[in-house]
Amino acid sequence: MEWNPETLQFLSQCFLHTLSPQPEPRHAAESSLAEAADRPNYGLAVLRLVAEPSVDEQIRQAAAVNFKNHLRTRWVPSNDLNAGPTFSPILDPEKDQIKTLIVSLMLSSSPRIQSQLSEALAVIGKHDFPKSWPTLLPELISNLQKAAQSSDYASINGILGTANSIFKKFRYQYKTNDLLLDLKYCLDNFAAHLLDIFLKTASLIDSTASSPGGGSPATLQPLFESQRLCCRIFYSLNFQELPEFFEDHMKEWMGEFRKYLTTNYPSLESSGDGLALVDQLRAAVCENISLYMEKNEEEFQGYLNDFASAVWSLLTNVSQSSSRDKLAVTAMKFLTTVSTSVHHTLFASEGVIPQICESIVIPNVRLRDEDEELFEMNYIEFIRRDMEGSDLDTRRRIACELLKGIATNYKKKVTDIVSLQIQNLLSSFATNPSANWKDKDCAIYLVVSLATKKAGGTLVSTDLVDVQSFFLSVIVPELQSRDVNGFPMLKAGALKFFTTFRGLIQKPVAFQLFPDLVRFLGAESNVVHSYAASCIEKLLLVKDEGGKARYTSADITPCVPVLMNNLFNSLKFPESEENQYIMKCILRVLAVADISSEIAGPCIAGLTSILNEVCKNPRNPIFNHYLFESVAILIRRACERDASLISAFEGSLFPSLQTILANDVTEFLPYAFQLLAQLVELNKPPISPSYMQIFVLLLSPDSWRRSSNVPALVRLLQAFLQKAPNEVNQEGRLNQVLGIFNMLVSSASSDEQGFYVLNTVIENLEYGVISPYMGNIWNVLFMRLQNNRTVKFQKSLVIFMSLFLIKHGATNLVDTMNAVQDNIFLVILEQFWIPNLKLITGAIELKLTAVASTRLICESPVLLDPAAARLWGKMLDSIVTLLSRPEQDRVEEEPEMPDIAENVGYTATFVKLYNAGKREEDPLTDVKDPKQFLVASLAKLSAHTPGRYPQIINENLEPANQAALLQLCGIYNCQIV
Amino acid sequence: MADDSPASHRRDPIKSSVGNVAAQRRRQNAVTVGKERRESLVRAKRLCRVGPSGDGDVPGEENDMVTDEEGFLLDAQTSSAVEDLKSAIAYQGKGAMQKRVNALRELRRLLSKSEFPPVKAALKAGAIPLLVQCLSFGSPDEQLLEAAWCLTNIAAGKPEETKALLPALPLLISHLGEKSSLPVAEQCAWALGNVAGEGEELRNVLLSQGALPPLARMMLPNKGSTVRTAAWALSNLIKGPDPKAATELIKVDVLLDAILRHLRKSDEELATEVAWVVVYLSALSNFATGVLVKSDAILLLVERLATSNSLQLLIPVLRSLGNLVAGDSHTTSTVLIPGHEITDGVIKVLVKCLKSDHRVLKKEASWVLSNIAAGSIEHKRLIYSSEAVPLLLRLLSTAPFDIRKEVAYVLGNLCVTPTGGDGKPNLIEEHLVSLVQRGCLSGFIDLVRSADIEAARVGLQFMELVLRGMPNGDGPKLVEQEDGIDAMERYQFHENEDLRNMANGLVDKYFGENYGIDE
Repeated sequence: MEWNPETLQFLSQCFLHTLSPQPEPRHAAESSLAEAADRPNYGLAVLRLVAEPSVDEQIRQAAAVNFKNHLRTRWVPSNDLNAGPTFSPILDPEKDQIKTLIVSLMLSSSPRIQSQLSEALAVIGKHDFPKSWPTLLPELISNLQKAAQSSDYASINGILGTANSIFKKFRYQYKTNDLLLDLKYCLDNFAAHLLDIFLKTASLIDSTASSPGGGSPATLQPLFESQRLCCRIFYSLNFQELPEFFEDHMKEWMGEFRKYLTTNYPSLESSGDGLALVDQLRAAVCENISLYMEKNEEEFQGYLNDFASAVWSLLTNVSQSSSRDKLAVTAMKFLTTVSTSVHHTLFASEGVIPQICESIVIPNVRLRDEDEELFEMNYIEFIRRDMEGSDLDTRRRIACELLKGIATNYKKKVTDIVSLQIQNLLSSFATNPSANWKDKDCAIYLVVSLATKKAGGTLVSTDLVDVQSFFLSVIVPELQSRDVNGFPMLKAGALKFFTTFRGLIQKPVAFQLFPDLVRFLGAESNVVHSYAASCIEKLLLVKDEGGKARYTSADITPCVPVLMNNLFNSLKFPESEENQYIMKCILRVLAVADISSEIAGPCIAGLTSILNEVCKNPRNPIFNHYLFESVAILIRRACERDASLISAFEGSLFPSLQTILANDVTEFLPYAFQLLAQLVELNKPPISPSYMQIFVLLLSPDSWRRSSNVPALVRLLQAFLQKAPNEVNQEGRLNQVLGIFNMLVSSASSDEQGFYVLNTVIENLEYGVISPYMGNIWNVLFMRLQNNRTVKFQKSLVIFMSLFLIKHGATNLVDTMNAVQDNIFLVILEQFWIPNLKLITGAIELKLTAVASTRLICESPVLLDPAAARLWGKMLDSIVTLLSRPEQDRVEEEPEMPDIAENVGYTATFVKLYNAGKREEDPLTDVKDPKQFLVASLAKLSAHTPGRYPQIINENLEPANQAALLQLCGIYNCQIV
Repeated sequence: MADDSPASHRRDPIKSSVGNVAAQRRRQNAVTVGKERRESLVRAKRLCRVGPSGDGDVPGEENDMVTDEEGFLLDAQTSSAVEDLKSAIAYQGKGAMQKRVNALRELRRLLSKSEFPPVKAALKAGAIPLLVQCLSFGSPDEQLLEAAWCLTNIAAGKPEETKALLPALPLLISHLGEKSSLPVAEQCAWALGNVAGEGEELRNVLLSQGALPPLARMMLPNKGSTVRTAAWALSNLIKGPDPKAATELIKVDVLLDAILRHLRKSDEELATEVAWVVVYLSALSNFATGVLVKSDAILLLVERLATSNSLQLLIPVLRSLGNLVAGDSHTTSTVLIPGHEITDGVIKVLVKCLKSDHRVLKKEASWVLSNIAAGSIEHKRLIYSSEAVPLLLRLLSTAPFDIRKEVAYVLGNLCVTPTGGDGKPNLIEEHLVSLVQRGCLSGFIDLVRSADIEAARVGLQFMELVLRGMPNGDGPKLVEQEDGIDAMERYQFHENEDLRNMANGLVDKYFGENYGIDE
């Protein structure tokens, strides 16, 4: 693409139209741009457009965004084949020109364009800096010096911002010599300039702040931003290890750092934005000193006392304020690092811990307006933070981490003080419950958050309070409150407490509260009914010693109708339509309760109506997963009890499943196939015609193209083959089934599925039915063996041959193979069966292949022929290896292969339904111990021709295997003569 | 020789599962950005305030502190001393030589007077060309000595001041030869050592001008101060990061014998300097490492470790030992064989270092142990049953961060067997179970939480062992109990792809959708 007025015109028009509210011109412009982007020098042309002062600012801005995205996909195009379409890369001459232009262009742009170009520059830097872009750093430095001389903070901050993004890689890459060389280069060139500008800005701040009125916010703002950027760069450059330059100049840095933590800047801090800006700098400082504290505490030691007290008093102020979260969190993290370090004795002096607890921990744990808002407005996020540990960066959580940190060395003190605080909070609540309810919340939060998990994972204990009496006196009154909607946050806290300490609450006490939990499912607050559901769900999982469930079906069955009713009703609350906590509770109840037909009826009706609803627009995969699990477990458990229910289930479910298949609801297809498989397996032959319709669908190759469907389809096909073998053999269906096998087995990514299909066919159909197809099957397998023989494939082949032998005999195996090509059986045996046999894993597979191989050498005339003595011996050697050595000694894991499945632009994945699962079936129930089978068979065989086999064994088995075989003979008291 | 490069620290690319790197030996990075942790005795640049042969006037300790006023005065005196030197050189009459020496001595006196010599003033006045002239061949020893001394202290200055010596380098190097008197050679070596200490660029200049062979030959005699200075200058010269110089040095005839002789017999001060040479040889050059491990070096290093209590000596000796273990598998496979006396000796001295109060020793000893623990199963058993394990366990929970990280590598390596290909490491269940029972898991999980990504990786790798290998499927429960899930979830969106995949993979595999479904 040449740079000329036409190009300028064309690009300007396009970018203008991309901003159009009308979809048509917008789409047209977007596709012209996408097309143009493939031409050489497109990026350069767009960059020039960005630089063209005559062009309207909004067009240039759109162009800058486009430029950045262009670089992102094409500077170094991804070579990940699964990452979507590949783009033609930008060529080197164009790259060089872009690199020459971009820095000065960025610095002279308006702030919005600057930020886009700065990101674009970071994209280049990520790949090219420093080795392929040696001019960048010098260019940045000389511009920085120029800008510093004229105190041009717009440019200074632009340069620092860029430096910050290109140095970020030092924060997350592994320490290699290459990385250290890059770091050294940056340090050698940049560290001194960084300190210069940092000190210069610092003195500007000092003089401005000490002028009358403390300086204007407009003057101070860019200075603080600049200092913050310097601090972030400091963090990157110091991340790997403490560089010599920074060690030598620690005093200068630390002096300024401390100033920002201890000084107030009233003219800025009087506004919310200004305070946020200063706090951002302080937070950046806290991250830097935390880094030093953690990794270089020896060099940092001299500054520690000052910083600890500075952070402490800063926190005392910040903790009282309701915003300033980020600063509070980073500052508390610093104190936490100190508390767990070798310098923890700072906390040892009298009165320190109580004060920290009182003036920092408690205020930060107390609920603030933001928490209440989140509780109301976004219950999912609230629960994630409150219950599921996504609260890593919340003040409440970090305050508790600080307490835990101090407790690593001062456990007793912390426990005493926190217990006392909890008592105080509770008595404050008692004086005026409706005004001081947050005190009680705070007390409950502390007990729950500071509890320690004990062995077993779910058992929790605490030294802070006596759990039983705390539960009775503090929690139970909340749970028994008649008004399920009053003080919802306290109710949520009480339910969380119950859930957390569920193992410690004795059964009679907990059981008595069960109706209350059921009642709280009707609370309007989404958090409260979610917590009630979660509490019930978790209670049903509690195990007593010996692993027996504490709450059994007998316990809950009486209240199941009300419980189920309330659960389904709570799914009608706004925003709880797809509430995963409730659905998980439904699943759990269905897993525990007795499923009588009185319960099954309403449940299947409720579940199918939800299913029909979510089919329209599948959104929450977790909810949907539990929904399908619930359906599956309901079918399984109800039909186990009463097989006649199956037709009722079919009646309710079929329409939904047909909708999924007909409308091609991709997310649900794997589930639908698994449920169908489950239903087919529960059916008694003959299979009803409606299933056979689905069977036809199953045989369409289209169904198999999506790899996420394949495991579920295989499972369904297996079900059909088992339950309706005769139907399968009609109307050429078997041919279609084998066509599917053929398709699957020819690709390395799906060959395992192909073998499932084949194995199912072999296992379930009579030999007479399959024998006409065997020649074809062998051809397909040998072809694949020739084209792409992965170890996985060879192992699958050994398993298949073994299964065939067990089901249809050694003679059929040998004959059908040799019918394809003379004597191919022995070739396959020597090249594939014998070497791969010892790689077989899995108990069922091991037994199957060992027994089949044993039968082969003891029954098959081909191997009993004296001419095959060597192969006979090698085969036995392999069997003994398989049976006598632990898996890890004989199997080397196959290096992982990049899996390039023929995905047709599809991202859904197969998720196995636990409750619709198929039991692994052992095709060989009559043999219990393959070792015994081996030696017994050998003993029997050798008795016919004494002296022959010991010699073969002696000649062909490894010494270790000879010894192992001898040992086996001893164990089972058999003899090879 | 084929792979004679500083062992690239990059380890095998790790797949989405947790890889086998725990069982690898780790070399120290050849590139450093941190301050060199060498004590003052062996600083990269050294001022010469007392002549090598003990002559020269001893500067009074009391005038160390130079006030601004004195500094100004010193600068003025220096400028005029340079002027005097200029006229002394110009003077061709009787007593010219003595005049030159006197002028040089005056300048040298000014340059040796304080910790902060007036280098800037001397350079500004044009001292370098004059000093170069004074180094010309055939000059009397006294003159050479004084000129080299002046240059030594100029070179001890700031980087650009050191660089000013460039025109003097060929002559300084040529005076290292056997024809020069020992004091002159030694003084020139000192000046060159300062130049080499400046950085890679000047080191390359020195090497291309042939500084290495004559310096190496100065290691051969038994004269203490000469060997000390030469060893120090060499350790600066071969610092790399290019390994070529180190390889060239070890190839110098009988150099190895000299090193071994000094390590065996010398006083601690000299042994320290020699040990630093061994540090750089073994850190940089695979060839040199190969030569050293086949000599008596390991034995001698172990003896020094056992008998000395000098921190300054113990640090380079320990570091050398570690490099020899990390750099060449010969060390663990044929020298440190379990059951041999020397192996027990090594473990014993490492335990001694672990017990010491000095953190550098504890850290380096852990690092050495981690490399021995990466050896055969017998090595692992040996360490596992030694006195080291209780010490290591205590360090893992109480020591400063950098020590904990090294300790983690030792304990991690004790629990896995080496693997050939790229399969996952096999577990040594007995070690894993016992170490976990003795409470080490929380230490590893703390490392996962740390800001250091190497530490985080070893933490995650250990967690993977626990999750996979604890009997009865207890792993997930143990990890959950120590808040390990939370620690791993920090990496959910981490910028380091490898850690992100490891952590997410473990969470998915062991705590995924079905975790707890059957609790």
